[in-house]
Amino acid sequence: MAWPRLTLVIGKGGAGKSTISAALADHLAQRRPTTHVGLDQRGSAARLFGVAPPQRSAIQVRRDLELIALSPRRELERFIQRIVPVRMISDRMLGSRTFAYVTAALPGLEAFLLLSRLSAMAGEAARDDRYVVVDGLSTGASLELLSVARGIRNLAAAGTLNRLAIDLEGFISDPNRCAVAIVVAPQQLSLKEALEAASALREHANVNRIVAILNAVPAPLFNQAEAEQAMAADMAHGALVRRRLDLDAAVQRVRRELAAAGLPVIELPMLFTPAVGVAEITRLSRALGKQVEL
Amino acid sequence: MAAALGLRSALEGAAVDVMTIDPAPRLLDTLHVDGAVSQPQDVDLQELSVSGAGRMRALKLDPKHTFDSVVNRYAPTRAMAEAILNNRIYRSISTALAGVGDYMAMEKLLELYDDPEAALIVLDTPPAREALDFLGAPERLLDLLNSRATSLLGGGLKLSDLAARAVLSAFDRVTGLHLLSDVHTFVRSFEGMYQGFAERAARARSIVYGPECLVLVITTAEELRVEETREFVGSLERTGLSIDGLVVNRVAPPLPHKSGLKKINPPSLQKKMQRNWRDFAALKQRETAALRVLKEMLPAGATMLVAPDLGREPRSLADLAEIAGTLDTPHFRK
Repeated sequence: MAWPRLTLVIGKGGAGKSTISAALADHLAQRRPTTHVGLDQRGSAARLFGVAPPQRSAIQVRRDLELIALSPRRELERFIQRIVPVRMISDRMLGSRTFAYVTAALPGLEAFLLLSRLSAMAGEAARDDRYVVVDGLSTGASLELLSVARGIRNLAAAGTLNRLAIDLEGFISDPNRCAVAIVVAPQQLSLKEALEAASALREHANVNRIVAILNAVPAPLFNQAEAEQAMAADMAHGALVRRRLDLDAAVQRVRRELAAAGLPVIELPMLFTPAVGVAEITRLSRALGKQVEL
Repeated sequence: MAAALGLRSALEGAAVDVMTIDPAPRLLDTLHVDGAVSQPQDVDLQELSVSGAGRMRALKLDPKHTFDSVVNRYAPTRAMAEAILNNRIYRSISTALAGVGDYMAMEKLLELYDDPEAALIVLDTPPAREALDFLGAPERLLDLLNSRATSLLGGGLKLSDLAARAVLSAFDRVTGLHLLSDVHTFVRSFEGMYQGFAERAARARSIVYGPECLVLVITTAEELRVEETREFVGSLERTGLSIDGLVVNRVAPPLPHKSGLKKINPPSLQKKMQRNWRDFAALKQRETAALRVLKEMLPAGATMLVAPDLGREPRSLADLAEIAGTLDTPHFRK
């Protein structure tokens, strides 16, 4: 099956979401024009690509790779500007405290509008043969984002919003348009959160295409006998060997549990480098290689 | 880290409550406490065999349950409480839609604070962005419920009321949601309870922003996290909240000197160990650079603490006690 038009990259804090989303966007952009969408407002991916974070307009990293930043608040502003097309009035609304009541009255509206925007981007990507990669929020916030369509549909039993919510649920469950990539670090807590997220995505948001990206897989160096030999020769250096073996063991455990959960797994190497920047993103992008079928 | 800090005080004899409002289950998992129960649960400290230990309880916030309790407590009549609990807007904001937990976390915090036995409450917030939502929760709730909103949604004649109503009407028309009357009913039904909410929100704010509250930002020494931390600390300061400490978690132990590898035999093993050392040295270099930046960004008067990487994930009370034991926190005992 071809890679979906939009990939939402999620994961536990520190698992490597921004790095992986940047590498995935870099990889996809080798084949087709790709837009990387940042939701974190910090421009993390832009830093990794060595460019200034995007503000209101897109930043072109190279010909086929652009970065944009989206925020729920901005989507709400766009929505209000659509409803109130006279700029002076809509600006006044947006700047007033009363505007907050509109959002407070219906929590989830901002997330809903953001999801609508992502759905529209996936539609445009299908039309123009492009890809979209979204550097998502933390796992919990991403689950809320993907579940919001169902919540809004329950709130609006009929009407435009109900139809829009049904369309969004269709988008989320369409494996050709939407995938969720869960970044997993080889640690028990990261694994547990990923497995719970996968289960919630299937059950509560009806996401049909979920892939786990096992990040920071170190190249194996030692076997058990060598570790013991190293410990006997030098305790401190032996402990460093033991640390490497522990990492290997953690990777094996995570691999087994992801497979048992029926999740397809993409693996990326641990970057033993003093910094993470353009060169490292390129390296990860290459490592995605045949693991990402286009 | 919240659990480790709470445990440290509990082992010193204090009565400690640790509350998490993070939907991720890691805190409760580590304490072996059931995440499905919304009441405080005792953490069994006996396995640590520490004499003079106090008590520790842990709980996960259940926003719906807490909000229902608040409505039942403050509604002037049973009928009004029922009207609110059955309102469509109430049902949507008190269940699964985004941002709801923040509204009620402050309420639970007050409940714990009013427990005369509790000497320390450790509040484990969600990650940075959501933590800011939490801090703004009382104001947002009051914004929704105050008389200004009633005027806006009811019959206020000010230009801004009319404009806001026009937007809401357009929203109703475009979406087919027909929310306006429900929102109005919802806000009106809270009218008699506003005072109670306002007082409690003001109290919660005075606790969080007062001298009894210590604000610790937990981070790791990773480049992207450093930027996130810098922005978060800045955002907190803009809300009037200055941090007392920065706790850098999972800092790797110092590397042994490379010269120790010379004596390793056979040479094939030595070569592998040299590569292993180079790999970890590169990571250490990355970490050291991040630590330097974190130290530079530390606000005046705040302390930086470093918690070591245990080389394994903390899964037990003993692991938490080990982490807590490495944190020199006398500065934090106000």
